[in-house]
Amino acid sequence: MTITWVPIIFVDVAGAFLMIVFSILSIRHAWRLIRKDPENLVWTYLLWLAVGLAGFAISRSAGHILKQVLFVSGYDPVWEHIRPVSGSLNTMLLIVVAAVTLFFNRAWHIYQGVFAERKALQGTQSELMRLNETLENRVQERTAALLIHEKRMAQTDRLASIGQLSSGIAHELNNPLGVIQGYTQLLLRGEEPASQKHQDLQVILKHARNCKTIVDDLLNFARHSKPEKTEINIHDVIDDVLIFIKHRGKMEKIRIETRFDENVVPMSMDDKKIKQVLINLLMNARHAVGEDGAIVISTAYEPEVRQIKVSVADNGYGIDAKNLVRIFDPFFTTKSTGEGTGLGLAVSYGIIKNHGGEIQVSSKPGKGAVFTVILPVNPAKDTLMAS
Amino acid sequence: MISKDKLKLIVTACFITLLATSSPAIATQPHGDPEGVVIHQFSHVFFIFSMGILIYWLRNRELDRQPGWREIKYSAFFLILWSAVAFVAHLLDEQLAWVITSRVDSFTMLVETTRGGPVLAWFYYIAKLDHLLCVPGLFFLYRGLARLSDFEEKKVEGGGA
Repeated sequence: MTITWVPIIFVDVAGAFLMIVFSILSIRHAWRLIRKDPENLVWTYLLWLAVGLAGFAISRSAGHILKQVLFVSGYDPVWEHIRPVSGSLNTMLLIVVAAVTLFFNRAWHIYQGVFAERKALQGTQSELMRLNETLENRVQERTAALLIHEKRMAQTDRLASIGQLSSGIAHELNNPLGVIQGYTQLLLRGEEPASQKHQDLQVILKHARNCKTIVDDLLNFARHSKPEKTEINIHDVIDDVLIFIKHRGKMEKIRIETRFDENVVPMSMDDKKIKQVLINLLMNARHAVGEDGAIVISTAYEPEVRQIKVSVADNGYGIDAKNLVRIFDPFFTTKSTGEGTGLGLAVSYGIIKNHGGEIQVSSKPGKGAVFTVILPVNPAKDTLMAS
Repeated sequence: MISKDKLKLIVTACFITLLATSSPAIATQPHGDPEGVVIHQFSHVFFIFSMGILIYWLRNRELDRQPGWREIKYSAFFLILWSAVAFVAHLLDEQLAWVITSRVDSFTMLVETTRGGPVLAWFYYIAKLDHLLCVPGLFFLYRGLARLSDFEEKKVEGGGA
């Protein structure tokens, strides 16, 4: 059949140009991939494939364009000389592309191995960094906890020594004071109530009783008085204390808030002594907040360790760091002379210790203070025996 | 038993005899005309095989589900079609000589067939338009690589591994 060449010539020439264009664009994008990740062998493989196909496309297209130009211009015999070279080159490049193509599997496997190793290395590195960070944090936490523990131990030791000293002095003073009180009362019986002597003896008796109170407080601090335990609900004790405190006046402008944990269980305690502790803490808080402030009393039950925490927090002037370590020392007070004996917190400390508990304080000057009483729900017998 | 020295002497004598008595050797094999088209046809078959294997690997690893690799699979498919068509065209005109073409003038050609009649002539004519297959093949390769590089670029910008 006789047919026109035109479609073949057109498709040949246009196709040849397009092949060159697309193959060069392919090399460009394969090169972009290599630049993103030069260690990726799969990208290297794709670059080789693109270069191989580009070489074939250019060789073949150049041959086709030249052939059509020579045919159209009537120089067919010239093409017969060029044809073997162009054809051989095309064959060679086609084999090269085919051979390169077969390397995909190898390239893929090698890269997957490298990728897996790299990922494992990154994972190990992140894990090491995390462990290092955790370790640093744990060391810091432990160091801080150790420091706090050491401070508490030192304070406990110091208070124990003071307690022993106080106990000795209190015992020595207790008997003479008893004798003074006894003889004063005897002498009072023989005197007329309106007489000057009777009034003088009353003054002696009053001051002897004051001394006796201080001696009793010291003995409480030294944990010599055994608690008389009954089953109590700490919330009831707090409520009683709050009623008592409110009746003592100057509490109208102070906001007192209670945050009770409903899970708190009854506990075996000396309610009079616990009340004494709470009164001491609340009176101190009242003193710290002045006439207009806020006091929060909260309770929390920790079933895991079977203990109840009672916190008394105020927004008063707080306690200086230098005073925090001495806050439970007997006769230590920041109040003005005549406002306090400095025995309230020392006595509270002794009472709580006597119940097998702890009393802690935290404060920032100007931001108030928090006193936390930790009481065991069932204090161990050995603790009671030791105290 | 033959001693080692005697054995060495015999081997040496045989070697010298072979060298002395051999006729002029034709060491290089001639490569005649049909060999060119045969090796070219082999290259097409090898190319089809390689591209077929590539498609198999891409499917096997489910890479053809990912953008970029999917276009590379299409590229391999079109290049297989092109190579097969080119192979048949070479077979018809250069090897079997079932189709003979000659130029009538600058824009007209005569297509004659020894077998198959006009259907084969038309098939051959269409097969000569093989750029309609290899150009899409290279276009898909370019699109595939472009999508892969775009994807990698986004991954790097997004801080991905």
